[in-house]
Amino acid sequence: MELTDADLVARVLADDDQHAFGELVRRHQSSMRGLLRQLTRTDVALADDLAQEAFLRAYKNIRSFRGEARFSTWLYRIAYNCFREDARRRKELVGVDEEKWQAERDPQTVDPALRHDLMHALNLLPLHERTAVVLCCQNGLSHDEASRVLDIPLGTVKTNVLRGREKLKRTLAAWAPN
Amino acid sequence: MIDDETLDRQLREAVPYINDDGFTARVIARLPAARREPQWLRAMIVVGLALLGAGIAYMIGGGHVVREGIIEFANFPIWLLLVFAFGCGLVVGAFAVIFAIRKTPEVRDLTRLDF
Repeated sequence: MELTDADLVARVLADDDQHAFGELVRRHQSSMRGLLRQLTRTDVALADDLAQEAFLRAYKNIRSFRGEARFSTWLYRIAYNCFREDARRRKELVGVDEEKWQAERDPQTVDPALRHDLMHALNLLPLHERTAVVLCCQNGLSHDEASRVLDIPLGTVKTNVLRGREKLKRTLAAWAPN
Repeated sequence: MIDDETLDRQLREAVPYINDDGFTARVIARLPAARREPQWLRAMIVVGLALLGAGIAYMIGGGHVVREGIIEFANFPIWLLLVFAFGCGLVVGAFAVIFAIRKTPEVRDLTRLDF
């Protein structure tokens, strides 16, 4: 029987159980690192540093998690804040390391050329649209959850997702089935 | 043009699972030291203060109240003492079960127990 995220959080709160927190990290590390890689335009090292920072903050502030949202949504919010603070510190977003990015992709799932075009198109989107598309379309968050993660109105999230999707579709029009 | 569903699926498939590769271990290594059983410390303080209070009360009362209580208790019929002992056992057992349920998530939701 597998413990739920809520069970593990309860153990961390009750006993300061670091093994339970480790299990939470193991469960969510992939999606957190994936999200941050998208936000940092595939700078793997920076994304992993930010993911580590986000998990540390989550541990220190776990008492502020009230269980109203999913634990992953709460983590995304912390990760997004870490990213924003770092971007503000750097004053500019980092460049794209396409080769490194592509080397880590699974060659079995999507046509490599389509994947390349998709990732390229995604990276061309403005940050607010890219973030909304990554959270909602890629990570499966609802618009409401994304609005909580990004701390912006629900309508803005919907607009950003819609615009981002339309731009991606236009860029990838050549890949549409006949 | 690609439809929304296809686009979302392609976006999801373009980001496969990222292997841990020691990431979790690095995070755990950076966590601040765990608190050492603060509940036990709290319990010890409460028990210590209770014993101290009882000791002070005994000394102030001269001890006769306790002595009389014990003598009166010894005069109780044996069956009443047995009932009293059994009742105490039940109460302590009930508290132990409640505490165990509260502390163990696996037991909290009996529907998820896997035999």
